[in-house]
This record gives sequence, C-alpha cells and structure tokens, in this order.
Amino acid sequence: MKDLKLRITQNIGPILALILFLILYVFYSSLHPRGFTSDLFVQNSNEALTLILLGMAQTLPVLLGGIDLSVGPLMTLVNSLASHLVSGSAVEIVAGMIACLVVGALGGLLNGLIVVYGRLQPIVVTLATGAVFSGIALFLRPTPGGTVDPDLNWVATNALAELPATYGWWPNGSPAWFQFIQGIPMPIIILVVIVLVVWIPFRRSETGRACYAVGSNEGAAYMSGVKIERAKLAAYTLGGLFAGLAGLYFAIQTGSGNADPIQAGTYTLNSIAAVVIGGTSLFGGAGGVIGTIFGVAVLRSITFCFRVVDSDSAIGFLANPLLQPMFEGLILLLAVSIGAAGIFRMKNRLSIFR
Amino acid sequence: MKVKALLIAAGVGLGMLSSTAFAKGPEVVSGPGYEEACFKPWNAETKFFKWPAKPGPYKIALVNGFVANVWRIQMIQTAKAYAALPEVAKELKEFKVVSVGTDMAAQLGAVEDFINQGFDAVLIDPNTPTGWDRVIRLANQKGTVLVGFDNGIESKDIPAVAQDQIDLGKISGEWIVKNVGNKGKLLEVRGVAGTSVDNERHQGFRQVVEAPGNSFEVVEVVGNWAPGDSQKATADAIAAHGKFDGIFTQGGSNGTVQAFLDAGQPLVPMAGEGENLFRVQMAELQDKGLKGLSYGQSPAQVAIAMKAAIAALQGHPIPQLTSVPNPVVDYTTQKAGEDYFPELKGDFFAANAFPPCDIKFTAPQIMSQSGDNTK
Repeated sequence: MKDLKLRITQNIGPILALILFLILYVFYSSLHPRGFTSDLFVQNSNEALTLILLGMAQTLPVLLGGIDLSVGPLMTLVNSLASHLVSGSAVEIVAGMIACLVVGALGGLLNGLIVVYGRLQPIVVTLATGAVFSGIALFLRPTPGGTVDPDLNWVATNALAELPATYGWWPNGSPAWFQFIQGIPMPIIILVVIVLVVWIPFRRSETGRACYAVGSNEGAAYMSGVKIERAKLAAYTLGGLFAGLAGLYFAIQTGSGNADPIQAGTYTLNSIAAVVIGGTSLFGGAGGVIGTIFGVAVLRSITFCFRVVDSDSAIGFLANPLLQPMFEGLILLLAVSIGAAGIFRMKNRLSIFR
Repeated sequence: MKVKALLIAAGVGLGMLSSTAFAKGPEVVSGPGYEEACFKPWNAETKFFKWPAKPGPYKIALVNGFVANVWRIQMIQTAKAYAALPEVAKELKEFKVVSVGTDMAAQLGAVEDFINQGFDAVLIDPNTPTGWDRVIRLANQKGTVLVGFDNGIESKDIPAVAQDQIDLGKISGEWIVKNVGNKGKLLEVRGVAGTSVDNERHQGFRQVVEAPGNSFEVVEVVGNWAPGDSQKATADAIAAHGKFDGIFTQGGSNGTVQAFLDAGQPLVPMAGEGENLFRVQMAELQDKGLKGLSYGQSPAQVAIAMKAAIAALQGHPIPQLTSVPNPVVDYTTQKAGEDYFPELKGDFFAANAFPPCDIKFTAPQIMSQSGDNTK
C-alpha cells in the first residue's frame, strides 16, 4: 500500500497528463460520428506518432537538465534523407531505413560531443546545430517531393489488418488468432515496440540511471563516481535516434520529404510543450518518455476537439479557426500550471531555487 | 490474467468495428467539363473527374494550414462570405473551418478526421504539395470529394484549383525588362524558403531577366511575403548595395516601398503582389518613379474551390486541375474602388474578382466576416 502511494507521488505528472488526455479524448470521441472505432484510433494515432517520437527525443536532454532545440531540424533532415533512400527493392528499403536511423543517432551524438567536450550550454549548441541540420535538409530537398515506398506508407499508417493483406501473407484467409488483434492501429504497435526494445532497457541500464543522477544533481553524481560524460553522450545519441525515428515515420506517413524550416520549429516547440505536460521536470532528473507520450496525447486531443464542436452550439466559439491557437495556448498553460502545483508541497521555500 | 482478458476483448471490439466498406473514387472522363468558362482546364491533357451525383444539402469542411498572415485570414473570411451567399447557403448543411498550423501530420489528420466524420467534401489549403496519397486513397474509398487550392497538390488524383506561379514570375520579369531596359541592378525579394510558390515565381522571373540579351545584376533577399520582413530585408539591401534600377517582390510589397522611402532612395519600376496598400502606393507615387505592376495570388480562389466541390457533388465533371486566370493590374490600368480601396487602412489583398465564375467580392463584404464564426 505504501509502495503504491509512493509510486503515485513519484509519477504524478504522467498520471495527471493521462487523466487530462482521457477527459479530452472521451469528449472528442463521443461527439464524433465514428467515435470509439478502429478508423478513429488509426487516424488519431497516425497524427500523433511523429510528435510522440519527437517528444521522446526531447525528453532525454531535458532529463539531463538541458534542452534540445535541434530535434525538429534533425527530424526534418532525416525526413528529407528518407525521401531519397526509402524506396526500391525490399533490401534497399531496409538499408535506407537503417541509414536514416544512423544519421539521426549521429546528429544526436554530434550535439552530445559539443556539449560535453566543448563545455557549452545545450541551448546554444543545439540552436546552432539545428540551423546546420535545417540547412542540410534544404540542400537535400530544396522543394518538397521524393518518394517513399507506397506499400510501406499504407501498412504503417493503417490498422494491423492491412499488413498481411498488403504483402499477401495469408492468401487463404488470416488465422483465427489474428482476427483478435487486426483492428489495432500500426502506429500504436510501432510505438509499443520502440518503448519495449529501446526505452525500457535503456532506463534500466547503468547508463540510463546515470542520466537521472546527472540531471538530478551533477555534483553529487560526479562525487559518487557516475560516468557523467558517458551518460550525457548516451542520452544525446538516444535522443538523436528518436528524432531519426520521428523523421523516418514522418517520411513514411507523408510518402515524401519536406525540409520546411517553419514546420521544424513548430515541432521543436511542441516537443518541449509535450515533455512539460508529461511531467518531466525542466530542471532535470525526474520524468521519462512514458509521460511525454501522454503529453503529446493531450496536445493532440485539444486539436481533435476543435473538429467536432458544432459551431451552432453554446461552446461553438471553440470552433472559430482564428481563436483556435489561443485556446490551445490556454489549455497548455493550464496543464503546465497543474503540473507545477507540486511546488506548494515543498517544506522549505528555498528548495525551489535548488 | 485479467489484463490479458481485457486486451483480447478490446482487440475483438476493434477488429469487428474496423470498416471494410469499399467505394470507388471518381470516374475519369474526357471533356467538355461543366461551366468551362469558370472551370478552365490547365491544358489540353487535363482529365476530368466525375463523382456520382448526391442529393444536397452538403457538409463541407475547409482545412487550412497556418493562419498567421493576412492572406490566410482573408481567405477564411472569403470562404465564409461565399458560404453565406443565399444561392450557396441553400446547398450547404454545414460548413466547418479549421486551421491546423504548419504541422503536416496535423493537416493530414484533420482531413482524415473529416472524411471519417462523413463530410461530403473537404477543401484543402495544403502546407506542402506532397504527401497526400494516403488521404486521397481513403477519400476515394469513402466517396469524399477533396479539392486542393492555393499552393497546389502535386498528385494527379485529386481535383485542384491553382494559379500559374511561373507565369506570375514571368509577367513580373517582362514588366521589369519593359520599364528598366536590358541592364542594371535589380532587387529580388523572395518569399518563404522551401515553398513551391517561392521557387516557381523565382524560376519564372529568372527565366526572363537572365534570357540572352539581358545583363542584369540581381540582388536576392528574403522577405517571407510579410511587409515587416520585406521592409527590413530591403533596407539592408539598400545599405549594402546602394542604388537599384528595378524591383521584383513576391509579397510584403508595401514594406519594400516603405524602405525605399525611408532611405531617401529614388523609386524605381517595381512588380509586386496584390496588397491593397501597395496598389495605393502605386497610385500615389507613380509620379515619383514607382511604375508599379501588381499581380495577385487571390484569396478568393477558395470560393472557386468550393464552387468546384459543390459542382462535383451534384455529379458534374470538373477538371483535375483548374487554371484560375492571374489577376494583374498596373499603375495605368487600376481603378479606385474596384481594383484597390484607398479608404481601407488595413492590409487587404485586392484581387478578388473572377467574373466567369460569378464570383466578385468587395472589400466591405469580406471584411464584415472578420473573426466571426461560420454561422
């Protein structure tokens, strides 16, 4: 019982985000003519996955007490690269996808190297590398275009049912067990696999724990013999890998590449918002990608709601397109304020400035 | 164990609910199309789309990208003004507008959401010209009519309404050559980097001024189609390069003129966008050397897109790509109260008349829609 209470207090951020998400999503889904169906979940998860992956990329530098302004540009860079590489034969597609992820991880590693060995502030370093990534992306894709394998696009953005159907695995009909799971959206499966294969092992490793220690108190971590440099490099590299995954999925989803710097900026800012809503502390040392996933879910649900509000109803002003960004901002502010309410529980006011 | 049972139950539920209904997309037919004077096919090879006729009134949605400039706001206002006209309003059961920001995933999601909600047609002002194949495939499955406009969608499987941007660049280049001569120093103020509109106008302009026989030195700056950015970029260019003989700007034109006035530079022949303030400057400053040409990417394109969507839903064939004539005026041909509005102080795009489509908006008609909701 005490254990449960402790777990709840430790994870209050993600839990609040989850509750806010459920409220918004149930509101949206019940007003939607096709609410609570696979079609709806497929569409919603498609829309959210890129930002979720990018929010995960942002979470790691924030856990260290830093911030990464280059995640959006790095995503755009990988997106542009993918539009050149991810097409052709099956071998070419797989090789292209691996190359994209390697480039993403290298971009993150570059940030880490400059931050660690240049002893510079992450905000300045990533502002600069972000501009560099944006430039390379524009060089690769001066105008939007390119191709990504259409079958891959269709499979990755639909319910699981389309996977065997598109590649003709079971010409004589799918086996019975498959009927149970065929409605699950592919983006959710992709996300679960990434969390299970990449995040959980990292979180449980020595390096993963070291990241939390560094973010929570770098001096104490150093005195305890934590390998600080290795932890930082690992965190930035993993962040880069997540940004690469975001760029790759974005390319698969849109079937093309686009080096739009404005979009890259939007994604960076939204990733920070999602991290904060998800309960990761901007001072570092507390939080994690699971919270960020719910943070993105909250952000996206806000926009979903605008699409189902009837403009004739009492709350019809919500549907006003010119006011929508304002409502998004207000709800964001509210969510962040709730997340910061933990400050009232502090015993000593000075510990705020710790 | 309990969790597992729940998961299986959820999976069964999802599996049963996932829809397997297939409807086919539009029939591809050859011309002639419906109201050809208004829906002019892009060229001779343009095919026509024909959907089965549906009884009205219709549910139509407009999915805009970002909303942070005058053009997009005026486009939304124009859409509402058009939807409010009695002859259009009787065809509409619901007209819904959302702006999704610059995020492509959100725009794809919004379109897909409206398809899922059972809207009859969705008008799209796309953030990017590519990446639409998936939603087009879905729309065709469910019999939804998608119509793209403004930046244009590259796919040949969706009807779209567009203006020829390369042509706009060429018209501007020709105006400069006609008024400046064959040599000199030109200032080119470009739009938002990476967009197709920016690239195509730039290409069209360069094709003309770099043609054999011309020897111009072109100084290129980025004005992002915004008066503030353009004014600053122009002021910097004047500081660095001194005198210019001609100007081509893609937007924020009045900012560029203002920078010349502020720097005390002589005004020179200039080709710019359709901002009302720029046209007023063209009228007032023509004696001081501002020989102006104003072309417009018209926000009223949205009305043609809506008209096309309604025509398609009624079962008429519409072109895959409709060419909207480029509205162009110069300082000798423009008329006050029709092509520009001297009494308006605010920013306003003045090119809004498409006579062949029975579409003509005056400034007050559009401005009265400001900020208000759809209905």
